[in-house]
Amino acid sequence: MTASAQPPIPEKVDASLRLPVLIFFGWAACWLVLGTFLCAVAGLKLVWPGFLDGPAFLTYGRIAPAAVNALVYGWASSAGFGIVLWLLARLGRTPLSYAVLPVAAAIFWNLGVFLGVLAILAGYSRSVFLLEFPGFVSAILFVAYLFIAVWGIFLFHRRAPGSVFVSAWYLLAALLWFPWLYFTGNALLVWGHPVSGSAQAPIASWFASGIISLWLAPVALAGAFYLIPQILGRRLVSYNLSLLGFWSFALFAAWTGMAQLIGGPVPAWMVSTGVVASILLFIPVLVTSINLLGSMRGSFGALNWSPSLLFTVAGAGSFLLVYIEGALLALPGVNAVFNFSDVLLGQGALVLFGFVSMSFFGAIYYIVPRLTGQAWPCDCLIRWHFWLFTIAVGVGFLCLTFGGIAQGFALSDPGVEFASSVAFATPFRFMGALCAIALLVGSKCFAGLFFRSVLSIFEPSAKPSAPGVIV
Amino acid sequence: MNRMPLLIFGVFLTFAAAWLGLVAYPYLTLGRLQPVTDESSGDVSPPPLSGLAVAGQKIYAANGCVSCHSQQVRPAYLTSDIAKKLGPRRTVARDYLRDQPAFTGSLRIGQDLANYGLRAPALSDIHRHLYDAQAVVPGSIMPSYRFLYTMRKISGQPSNEALTGLSGPHAPAPGFEVVPSEDADGLAAYLLSLKRDYALPEAPQEITE
Repeated sequence: MTASAQPPIPEKVDASLRLPVLIFFGWAACWLVLGTFLCAVAGLKLVWPGFLDGPAFLTYGRIAPAAVNALVYGWASSAGFGIVLWLLARLGRTPLSYAVLPVAAAIFWNLGVFLGVLAILAGYSRSVFLLEFPGFVSAILFVAYLFIAVWGIFLFHRRAPGSVFVSAWYLLAALLWFPWLYFTGNALLVWGHPVSGSAQAPIASWFASGIISLWLAPVALAGAFYLIPQILGRRLVSYNLSLLGFWSFALFAAWTGMAQLIGGPVPAWMVSTGVVASILLFIPVLVTSINLLGSMRGSFGALNWSPSLLFTVAGAGSFLLVYIEGALLALPGVNAVFNFSDVLLGQGALVLFGFVSMSFFGAIYYIVPRLTGQAWPCDCLIRWHFWLFTIAVGVGFLCLTFGGIAQGFALSDPGVEFASSVAFATPFRFMGALCAIALLVGSKCFAGLFFRSVLSIFEPSAKPSAPGVIV
Repeated sequence: MNRMPLLIFGVFLTFAAAWLGLVAYPYLTLGRLQPVTDESSGDVSPPPLSGLAVAGQKIYAANGCVSCHSQQVRPAYLTSDIAKKLGPRRTVARDYLRDQPAFTGSLRIGQDLANYGLRAPALSDIHRHLYDAQAVVPGSIMPSYRFLYTMRKISGQPSNEALTGLSGPHAPAPGFEVVPSEDADGLAAYLLSLKRDYALPEAPQEITE
């Protein structure tokens, strides 16, 4: 099932993708640095409200959503688009034609995100989670997306004959789900006259969980399904496991959002579907993890020489952890205590920085040398990047979770004052803010490496290294 | 997998099922809920918001208050929200009829505000709290919203709108006063309007021990 030897075609494919994919990754790297910077500022404000205090655009309620949107739509989505185009072209052994359109779409998408983040800081936020951008910005994003998706589907349509690899299932699904999701969310909650407030809670929860589980997660999994067998030169554990994992994920993931509304203003059956789906999602998550990590069996030594593999495996491990935690938090008794607490912040950090970002880093470390024709300039910066991210995500997740547990018990005990829940959480939030600073440093390592690598194309002395050594 | 139409159909169907259940269904049912009118008193529930409170709702959205403050009271059989006096009953879909958008929220970094209007102090105290929370509640981590207020030199008589009893680092120097902007007045009016204590047929008052 793995794409086998494919001599001159890959170089042709890579040459056709060089400009659009590097533009997507370049924007993504800038957004990652800006997003983690805003995260660090927001984190410090939570423990030290006087920090950078005063002007309206620096208030916590604007910085925090600006950070999340910069990371989700700027960093993760831009990087995701680059990965989608590259993987579809590689898997289908089809060069990209008319690259000017995806390049234009990349520029429009990112200018849209830029305007959106500015609008949030300037006070034009709608305050619906992940739909904070004003309507005209989400319209720009939607149109830019259509150009990218049409190109992706076009690439898939013109693929070379042969069976379709599991990565392509996920990519195709993500490309079809995202516009439906994004259009519905904006049409009902942002554009024109939004629906009555009574109907907004379930739609907003469905949307927010969909952006993660139906857009970013499938792209991240597609990357892992391609990279692990490709780098190790072996097959996935089982085709049938891939099939089961994909279809059960598609079936359950879309329903999980309602588990955030246990006790909330929605009909009871909706909450029940969310709880059941979140717990059943354990099946695809377990199956997919066995399939991915099982392919690693006996080859963990490869983690030493392949940074792509290292990041991808860290992403796959976070994937397992994120959805196990999701299933636990969907149990009504657990949710009653820990909903609204910092446990959710920890889970969000693990999804965004652990699962999605680590998986995307793995793919980018694999793709970029193939586009520039040169190995990464500095091995030690890659190590710094990996360890800063791994430690910051791990420690940050644990701190926010433990702090959230203490906070959750305080919030649900009628004998404890509200102020105590803040006091319990504060030291853990301080640690979380330090971890955000470490993420910022790690992101700068990554961005520095990326831009050095891209600029080296233009150095006259640069000689392309053999494609075999760059992993 | 080589049967592409099957893949695309399956991908479409799995998404469509959840879309029908979680988007189309609430759109058609919850989206059509109407206010309830009490026939004897003529009271409408939930009551309409004043123009000032509607303006304040926009300030609440613009400054991302929902990042820290939920507006949900969960039922007593499930959680201790009612025992913690967050409200007299659980909140239901109809409670958010006048909300644009619905600020249900997902974190309680700050207190739940579903029924803030029922326990709110005097208007001047709300303004003092928004202006500088740490000066009112030591240890509070709420940001200062002093960008919604104007500090100006007192010319002639002090304004009767001016905030009184300010202390702490942002208190006005002698000869100066702090007055709320229209935005601050709106925000305070919106906060005072947050009262979900009216009776709804689907949400009777709950009994707590």
